[in-house]
Amino acid sequence: MLNIALIGNPNTGKTSLFNNLTGTYQYVGNWSGVTVEKKVGIIKNKKGNLIDLPGVYSLSPLSKDEAVVSNFFVTETFDGMINIVDASQIERNLLLTLQLLEFEKPVIIGLNMTDVAKRRGITINEQLLSEKLGVPVVPVIARSGKGTATINDLLTDDLKVDASFTLKYGPIIEESINQIIHLLPANLSIPKRWTAIQLLEGNAEVRKYIRSLGDGAGIDSIIQATNEQIADETAASNTSKWIYSVRKAFIEELIQSSVVTEESENKSLTDKIDKIATHPFLGIPIFLATMFLMFKLTFDWLGIPLSDILDGFISGSLTTWLTNGLNTAGASDFIKAVVLDGIVAGVGGVLVFVPQIFILFLLISFLEDSGYMARAALVMDRTMEMVGLNGKAFIPMIIGFGCNVPGVMAARTIETPRERMLTILLTPLMSCSARLPVYALFVGAFFAKYQALVVFSLYVLGIVVALTLAKIFSSTILKGEFSMFIVELPPYRMPQGKALLRSTWDKGKGFIKKAGTFIFGGSVLIWLLSYSGPAGFDVPMDDSFLAMIGNVLAPILAPLGFGTWQAGASLITGFLAKEVVVSAMNIIYHVPNADSLQGLLSNEFSALSAFSFMVFVLLYVPCLATVATIRKEAGSVKWTWFSVVYALVIAYVLSLVIYQGGKLLGY
Amino acid sequence: MLLTQLNKGERATIIDLSLVNESVRRRLLDLGISEGSQVCLQCKLPFKGPCMVENCGQSLGIRLQDASYIKVEKKC
Repeated sequence: MLNIALIGNPNTGKTSLFNNLTGTYQYVGNWSGVTVEKKVGIIKNKKGNLIDLPGVYSLSPLSKDEAVVSNFFVTETFDGMINIVDASQIERNLLLTLQLLEFEKPVIIGLNMTDVAKRRGITINEQLLSEKLGVPVVPVIARSGKGTATINDLLTDDLKVDASFTLKYGPIIEESINQIIHLLPANLSIPKRWTAIQLLEGNAEVRKYIRSLGDGAGIDSIIQATNEQIADETAASNTSKWIYSVRKAFIEELIQSSVVTEESENKSLTDKIDKIATHPFLGIPIFLATMFLMFKLTFDWLGIPLSDILDGFISGSLTTWLTNGLNTAGASDFIKAVVLDGIVAGVGGVLVFVPQIFILFLLISFLEDSGYMARAALVMDRTMEMVGLNGKAFIPMIIGFGCNVPGVMAARTIETPRERMLTILLTPLMSCSARLPVYALFVGAFFAKYQALVVFSLYVLGIVVALTLAKIFSSTILKGEFSMFIVELPPYRMPQGKALLRSTWDKGKGFIKKAGTFIFGGSVLIWLLSYSGPAGFDVPMDDSFLAMIGNVLAPILAPLGFGTWQAGASLITGFLAKEVVVSAMNIIYHVPNADSLQGLLSNEFSALSAFSFMVFVLLYVPCLATVATIRKEAGSVKWTWFSVVYALVIAYVLSLVIYQGGKLLGY
Repeated sequence: MLLTQLNKGERATIIDLSLVNESVRRRLLDLGISEGSQVCLQCKLPFKGPCMVENCGQSLGIRLQDASYIKVEKKC
């Protein structure tokens, strides 16, 4: 089996190409040490695996994301690379390509977006490019999959290694390269010339790796000396600039011979849309309107009708079938109670929200694929800068609306460690889709007329709290001067149906999996705790273990307006996953479906205490999976605890203010 | 003159990036923008917000502060 790495600049259509080169089957794992997703798919011709690497501009890392790629090159073994190149931005794309060619492994270049390039007046002679670089260049249309068959054919068992490509960097650098090669360990698993060049360029990851193999003092002094020599004897002020200029000169020559550029000054659709989307004054209102539209679609227009149908099915036909089936099989009362009161109530109560969650994921994928996310980051940058963050931090937060776990992970595109930490800590305040079932339950019971508005207010509250805390944290515990924001604004593209469905499924399947694991287990456990008590099994609910546990919390929660053991118990279990709060309530109140639960809840809660409860659920602690992700991404137990504790404090204080304040105002 | 002194829609050539912060410059180089690159100031967001700059048909957003360290020369 071959192991092929797929690598390219961000926004070049890498994901589309990945999807088209691999079939439907793929597995998602983690890179060692970090939770950056490692996507591996089987290439359609069954000859090997395709490994999807994060999009990078260079092998010298600036952000955590890019460090993953550098680390992959030095520590993992693979047989070849597919380098996707955006034809319309060929100059800067080739900067990465040159570094890949120096790695002395077979490379296939997939030349994407030749159509966009053509419209911009750029025509590329692939044959000539292929000759000059000594590797195959295949024109592809990543979105439709055109050209992938040719790549498939090139991926044979005996991939040709064409190590003929060498770029000479001038006498000073070449001398240093030779010296470094002599000092490198003889059994080094990666190409020595590449290593030497990367070291000279200042690649921190490669340097770390070489140091881990032994004493690097000799190499360090060569790097130092080269730097000084370059500064003294050339126009460049340091080695990396010199290397950059040599590469750039090489690329310019390459382009002159194999690329034809004509002036074309037609305004693209992107420019027209940007006139409005990044309009000085309309920009922010448009962004907010987009968000509001998203919630309208998720709730009022599409989600709730679909959920109602599903709810009808689960509490109606499915329950009848199961009851009949269990009766026919002669199941004991205990088994019947576990299945019907525990599993169906708990898991079913959460599954009915699958349509809404998938619609939300679909809309987020749409925003990601269309190119609007980067504009949102741009429009929000000024606001974010004022609270000590940058516009890029807004993207993890929007993704966090779907699920906090990928949101926290998405923070790795932020270059400065301080801003990244802030984003990791604050993303869990974004109201994820798992909190939706809780809101849906309560707004249905108490705010039937203003469902979308009330839910929207919770989302806004999450954002406001996050921004306020960002300001507080960045001026106290996470102080720092340096902040950086540069964002690439890719052309707008109409997202493709197939790709959208695929990424929606990728994001949403975790939720269904959770229903089968956490929520299933949690439901059984909660049911068991509610079924048993000190007096034995089948006790009245108020004498159960669950009630005992809930009663410990009830007095503490009383000032917030929900001092019942039922609320306390469901909140504890909500740490597993926030939607378990709904499962727990279904089981505790022992009702067949959401409608009757809503009816019951109106006896236990008032509109005010229901709102206070929703605010508490929004903020109180990140769920188990998010906490684990924070632990990995932040790499610190201290900060992980901090994220749990501050959230709990904020939730308590805000709910208290809302409930007590509301009472004073006479609600 | 400075990049931020351009009017909306004006083109210019970058002549000096040496005053720009190291990491910002690295990222600009990654995006293919170096001394000699042609840029066009597409728009500036209000309240000293970031500005949109185009180079070779590709747009990017950069903070006003950073852009004000980029020296350019207007195309005649």
